Amino acid sequence: MKEIDDFLRENKPVVKDDPAFLMETRRRMKDVDGIKEEVDRQRSRGRVTLIATLVTGLVLGVLVTALAFLYPVDTQSVGDGLWQALRAFLDTWKQYLVYPVAAIAVTLSLVLTLGGKKAAQL
Amino acid sequence: MTQERFIDLVRVEQEPLRRFLLALCNGNAALADDIAQDALIRAYVASGSFMGLSKFRTWLFRIAYNCYIDHLRKARPEEAPVEAAIAVPADDTSDASFRYQQLYQALEKLPEKEKAAIALFYFEDLSIKEIAGILNMPQGTVKYKLSMGRAHLKQYIQL
Repeated sequence: MKEIDDFLRENKPVVKDDPAFLMETRRRMKDVDGIKEEVDRQRSRGRVTLIATLVTGLVLGVLVTALAFLYPVDTQSVGDGLWQALRAFLDTWKQYLVYPVAAIAVTLSLVLTLGGKKAAQL
Repeated sequence: MTQERFIDLVRVEQEPLRRFLLALCNGNAALADDIAQDALIRAYVASGSFMGLSKFRTWLFRIAYNCYIDHLRKARPEEAPVEAAIAVPADDTSDASFRYQQLYQALEKLPEKEKAAIALFYFEDLSIKEIAGILNMPQGTVKYKLSMGRAHLKQYIQL
């Protein structure tokens, strides 16, 4: 085994000194730093957006609650009013409601028929 | 760890690292340098987690060995080693050149763990403990791999 030991120790692989190797490493490290910075930037932007959304929600919630307490409304009468307005709208425009309903029905029937034919071909 | 500090450490370790990978890649210098670059970038990305519990060299070599194993897994079976790319110093005599050819051809026949143990022990002069850390195996196994590697090399190399 001594010969093998000596052979291995005397014939270590030789690496050529290559300045381009370190330059390439530096270049890749710069790329990695660029990606890291971009990820950090996006992460902090996301954090700011989240905080802004939370603050806006909180402020709006407080405002709405304050308004609700300051100006109480009879919700029953508002609900009734809305329902009556909807009924009046439908009474006025009911003859025109047929057209969109018919258009949707025709479109749906065409789509389903064509879709069924394509599926049959496949 | 700053980029400059990392580069300083790499400047010292790049030669042993490339030599280790050159032995693992059976003398294919281009492939060894590619894997070395990958390993350095992985190490740089993970440098924040380097706690200094082991030597920087041990840590870097472990990453490099894992990169090499990843490369082996990804490499297609038909991808044969490039014989012409074997790195032999240009100014060497034909006798030395023959010895390097013999060495790389013998290393190519060794199982990966044996090859890695032999490369770290003989070419990098690392201790059994350090090799065990790099190859992630008990010290007894490293000794066994070294002994098996030597026995195999004796069959493959004509002295």
